[in-house]
Amino acid sequence: MSRPAAARSTRRERRLDALVSYVLLALATLYALFPVAWMLSTSLKSEAEAFGLPVRWIPQRPTLAAYVEMWTLKPFATYFYNSTVVSGATALISTAVGALAGYGFSRFRFRFRATLLGGFLATQMISGVLVIGPYFQLLAAVELYNTLTGLVIAYVTICLPFAAWMSKGYFDSIPRELDEAGLVDGASRLQIFLRVIMPIALPGTVATFLFAFLLAWQDLLWAISLISVDEKRTVTLGVAFAVGEFVIKWPMLTAACLIGSLPTLILYLALQRFYVEGLARGAVKG
Amino acid sequence: MRVGRTWHDRHLGVLFVLPATVMLVAVLVFPAAVTLKLSLSPEGGLASWTLTLGHYRAAFTDPVLAQAFRNTFAFVAASLVGHLLLGLGLALALNQALPGQTLFRLVALVPWTIPDVVAGIVFRWVFNPVHGSLNPLLQQLIPGFPPDFSWLSSPALAFPSVIFANVWRGYPLVMVMLLAGLMAIPRELYEAAAVDGAGRVRRFLHVTLPGLSTIILVALALDMVWEFRRFALVLTMTGGGPGTLTEVLSTLVYKSYFQFFTFEYASAVAILMSAVLFVLSVPYIVLVGRERT
Repeated sequence: MSRPAAARSTRRERRLDALVSYVLLALATLYALFPVAWMLSTSLKSEAEAFGLPVRWIPQRPTLAAYVEMWTLKPFATYFYNSTVVSGATALISTAVGALAGYGFSRFRFRFRATLLGGFLATQMISGVLVIGPYFQLLAAVELYNTLTGLVIAYVTICLPFAAWMSKGYFDSIPRELDEAGLVDGASRLQIFLRVIMPIALPGTVATFLFAFLLAWQDLLWAISLISVDEKRTVTLGVAFAVGEFVIKWPMLTAACLIGSLPTLILYLALQRFYVEGLARGAVKG
Repeated sequence: MRVGRTWHDRHLGVLFVLPATVMLVAVLVFPAAVTLKLSLSPEGGLASWTLTLGHYRAAFTDPVLAQAFRNTFAFVAASLVGHLLLGLGLALALNQALPGQTLFRLVALVPWTIPDVVAGIVFRWVFNPVHGSLNPLLQQLIPGFPPDFSWLSSPALAFPSVIFANVWRGYPLVMVMLLAGLMAIPRELYEAAAVDGAGRVRRFLHVTLPGLSTIILVALALDMVWEFRRFALVLTMTGGGPGTLTEVLSTLVYKSYFQFFTFEYASAVAILMSAVLFVLSVPYIVLVGRERT
């Protein structure tokens, strides 16, 4: 094949690739946004309009009444506070404990290391419904039932296998010579971990942090099983109970849904670059 | 100095790993063992040492459990296929550095940030026969589409509808992992293949797929675990209904525990469910364990 012909064919190929990609991305955008747009649209309608026919995509007279009603009928500010505390604490603790374990696995050789690594991996397969009953009784025995602490302990533990594996993979991609240089300078292992390795591993750490925050914010199973009083409910739990109580008040329900999704939506979209980069180094390579 | 070989270092490594290990044992492994014991105990007899296989015998003849197993397998398989097709297609499209790709990437990630509870509720509202948004849309696209088609109470379509929602909910995780995998494939490989005269299809088969095969397996294995356990979406979208047509294992165990209070039976079902999940994920554990230790 002569050179210009080849160049022309690659250019044509590239244009075709771009066209196919755009069509796919456009369809995916519709799919991704369709339910969210419907949720937003309904939340801005009056109840009469939500049940009016024909169904309208864009509210004729947009109103925030559903948001006000939802916020006054249910203690959503408390739910928000609970979710924020629980998710923040979960993300912080599981990232820290997971990074410690990841560093241990990445930099040290000790007895039963491989077994323990396999064990960490295998605990990922333990589903919540398998342990929730006994955990519930355990919490009741130490009087942590109906507390946010009990919830945090559960979430942190669920996040740990992922956090440890993620950070181990990330640490593996950081040259060991950095540790050795630190040791030669007389720093302790913990100092090296905190001052040398952790700053370099920031993208991986952010990815783990996000993973844990999202898991805690979005969970229903543990919250619904471990919390029975209104003032300790998380946002997802509040939303789930609102469905039972106000099953036909769709503007209010969708308003609650939207508000409940907003924190993770913003956090994720703002930090997604870290997530992809962190995954690329921590979970994909390694 | 050889790092990592001294006596001191060997023990230090254990200290770093210890906090996580203790938590995993206390919160996951120990309760799992209690569940196992409970599943083998007569009703209310956790403290006694009498063991029975009665709950397992009951489980094996329970038609609802059989259905929940079938449903879960179908749910996981269909979700995985959907996630892989959509995730791979979008990852390839997003990896081309096209104008506007950052925006598309953000939008494609949106379903991931929506809690399962919310996804279930919103899709229930989307599928609402009279006031939802799907039927009006289909009426505009397909002339003569029935105006009040009830998806979620139709025995034939309730389950596919739940899967439709779950494909929406879960594809971004696979997409992000595959995108990260694509970005890790060196560009020179493509250029070398192009110089050798390899066309688009051959470049995909001989450069992209081999470079991506491990991460595809890892992503699918992780996704399988997630979908196997998916709970809140099903609970809020259909609650397992109509009847038990969309019941999956996680909702069945939850109901047996906290609604029917048959703890021992719930434990047996949870053990069976976990055993199956564990067997299914052995290849993953071996694969990743070998690569990463």
